Order: sequence, then structure tokens, then C-alpha cells
Amino acid sequence: MLEIDHISFSYGRRRVIDDLSFDVAPGEIVALTGANGVGKTTLLQILANLLIQDTGNIRLDGVDPLERPIRYRRGIGYLSEMCPLYDEMTVEAYLTYRVRLKGERTLRIRRRVSEALELCGLDKVGREPVRLLSQGYRKRLSLADALALRPKVLLLDDPLAGLDAQLRRRLGAMLSAISSRSAVVVAGHEIQEMLGWCTRVVLLRTGGSALFYRTGEHSREALTEQVGRQVAADTGEEEACVPST
Amino acid sequence: MRTVHMIWSREVRAFVRAFSCGVSVAAFLAVAGWTFVMLMRRYEGSVLQVQTLWGLSVAPWLPLLSAVVTMRLFAEERASGMIELLLAAPLRERDLVIGKFLSALTIIAVALSVAVLVPALVLPSLCPAVQGLVRASALAATSFLLLAQASAWCAVGTLISVLFRNPAAAAVCAMVVCGGLPVASYAVVLAWMPSVRSGVAWMPLLAQVYDFSTGQFSTGVLILYGSITLFCLFACSKALACLRLRG
Repeated sequence: MLEIDHISFSYGRRRVIDDLSFDVAPGEIVALTGANGVGKTTLLQILANLLIQDTGNIRLDGVDPLERPIRYRRGIGYLSEMCPLYDEMTVEAYLTYRVRLKGERTLRIRRRVSEALELCGLDKVGREPVRLLSQGYRKRLSLADALALRPKVLLLDDPLAGLDAQLRRRLGAMLSAISSRSAVVVAGHEIQEMLGWCTRVVLLRTGGSALFYRTGEHSREALTEQVGRQVAADTGEEEACVPST
Repeated sequence: MRTVHMIWSREVRAFVRAFSCGVSVAAFLAVAGWTFVMLMRRYEGSVLQVQTLWGLSVAPWLPLLSAVVTMRLFAEERASGMIELLLAAPLRERDLVIGKFLSALTIIAVALSVAVLVPALVLPSLCPAVQGLVRASALAATSFLLLAQASAWCAVGTLISVLFRNPAAAAVCAMVVCGGLPVASYAVVLAWMPSVRSGVAWMPLLAQVYDFSTGQFSTGVLILYGSITLFCLFACSKALACLRLRG
């Protein structure tokens, strides 16, 4: 469905992504991880058509974002790391505005909004102003915005950051439910938690290369340790980043 | 069109709720009103008409109001990160720019409409001697020119807003460009080539206001402001598209 074909990207002279290729199939949850600054957000921004790669191609069901950007973006749901929202609106008004802005037909708007609110557990706070929401609810609202139009691929940048353990578990369960209708690419550092629900791990390394793991082929502990060791090698810290169990 | 309308209505609502917008419009009305009173006192008994004095009192403050109103359009979205969500959504940069530009122009049009009440209604009711002196058509032509000027200032302000992350920095830059640049460039032209004074005499913005208020309707002036507006809006949508190439 989403094909990433030999893409490279540099910030000036610094190469962040180097000749990276992989596919994301329907129903998959791909975890993007790696040390700080290896290009997780950059890769997600390229996939969301917010940045344009230097070389290589991306296709979503055969649609190239450089040739047909609007059609490509229609198939993508993007959750930004900062979770920006319009604070002056209510939760429901914000979602309605976003769904309309993305071009949904008038008749379907109400249904899409209520579906997204229900899926993200926001139905009880629909009339609350966005500015009064806690960090966890803001994240859920951003997620609801990303998935409201039933995109083919959901791109989530650090969705677990700033959430407590219970919310992280809920978000994991939510993503597992969502993956039945959208493929998910999720970036983050919480590898141990992500291994609980992702099907594949892409470990980005300094210099732009990447390592790929299928979660079904390794035990969770072994994979956590292996990824942690690679991240530690990239950051130059021997004991860093291996999460305690 | 639907996207433009959606962005326009959201932005207008945000303007109405924004403290900075209310303060800047109120300040504009106060300063323009004060200038109008001062000009009326100074030119009492002269050949200058009421609508001319009103136009001359409003025009100098329009660039400043436009700069303050447009500062937040894109700079705020860039600061909050909302620009990412807007650019990742399936909408054209062009629609985004036009919707935001029109919302700022709407606010300025409302401010101008309130300001025009002074020569059209308040002054004739307070001073019976002025009744019949204010011609509605001349006042409409003056207002139309001021709106055309405001449209150009708003387009420049919108373009500048795309280039900054800080709304205050965008406002200062827009004030310098809108307020200072036309005056500076006119001064430079006159200093270098004093002989072309008659040829470029249309450049000072106040002279255009004077012409329109006395019935000298010039299509060239309107085309000039229309061209500035279109060019800046085009540049603005290209600048937004360039945000995708920042690597």
C-alpha cells in the first residue's frame, strides 16, 4: 500500500535518511525508533508530504505525492509531535472544522466526527473547550483528527510521549483497533511498549541507514535488548536506552 | 471555494475573540478620528472637502492596522505547529492563503465602515453647517480606494507573516515595509531624479486619496493595488509550498 523506494534526505550537508526502502501493508503497525536526531520525525514528515525527499519515490496505492499531492494527502492521517489544536474551539467544533476542511461530504461529517470521538474516548468531553483538556485528552483529540477521515495510513509522531502508563496502554489498544482499517506508522522511543502492539520495527541509525525487525520473529525481551543496544551505540552511551523491564 | 469560506469564517471568529485585534481596531479608530478632527481644524475654510480630509486622516494608519491584523495569520500557525496539520491536509496552499487574507481584509473593511460613519452620519448630525457638503458618491469612492490600499497592505502583511514564526516580528517587519518603504522609495526617486517629479507624482498614497475624493477616479491606481495584492498572494502560496523544501 505505502511504498518507500530508495529515499534520501539531507539537511544541508547532513544526511539524515540514506537510501531507505520499505513497504507498509494494510493492517500493519510499523514502529519507527532510534536515537534522538536520527530522522524519525523527518521520515514521518516526508511521508506526510510536509517535506520533499532529495531522491527516491513514495507511493500510496500508486499515487505519487509529488504528482498528485492532494489525492495522496487524502489517504494520509498525520499526528504531529506538538499536538497543535485551536484552543478557542470546543472538542466537537474542532473536529467538525478539521473534517470539513479536509473535504469530507457534508452528509458524512457528523458520522465521521461521532465515530472518531467514540473511538478515541472523547464522546464525554465533546462540548468542552479544547483549552481545558489535559495533555492526554489533547493527544486523543489530535489522534481523532488524524483518523477521522479513515485514512489508508496513519502517521503518528511520538504519540506516547507525556502520557502515563495507563494512557499508554489505552492508546496501544486503540491503535491495535485502528490498524484493522488503517496501516499505522508510529515513531517513538518507548520500544518496549510499542513491541506490545506493532508488527514491525524500523530502527533508524545515525548516518541514514536503517535496520528492520519483524516482531513475530523475535521474543519481546530479545528485541528490546537488541534495539536498545543499537540505540546506545548510536548515542555513544553504553547503558542508555535499554528500558528496564 | 468551500475551503476558502471555512478558513475565512474560522479566522474571522478568531479575530473577533482575539484581544489584540479589538485593541488594534479601537486604536485605529481613535487615532484616525483624532487625525480627522485635527485636519478639520487646520483646514477650516480651505477648499479641501470633508471626504478628502477624512480620507487623508485614515490612509496613513491603514498600513499599521494591516500589519497588526495580519501578523498572526501564518506566524501564529507556525509557532504553534498548526501549519504542519494544515500543510498535511488535502487542501491547496492557494485556498489557505486566500481564506486568511480575506479574513484580515474583512476586519479592516469593518473598521473602515465604522470610521466612515463619522463623516457620513456623526459630523452632519453634530454640525448642521456640514449637512449637504458631504457627497455620498465621493465618500464611497474614497472608501473604495482606501479598501484597495488596505488590500495591498494586507497582502504584503500576509506574505511577511509566512516568513516569520513570531507574530510580533512579523508585525514590525510589515509596518516597516508597508509604512516606510513607499515613502522611502519615493524619497529616493526624487533625490536621484528630481526632474521626474511630475512623472511619479501619483506615487504618494495621499495624493491618490485626494484624487479619488475629488472625483478623479483612476483605473491605473486600482490596477496597481490589484497587481500588488495578487503578486503578494501568489508569492505567499509559493512561500508556503517552499516550506516543504526547507531541507
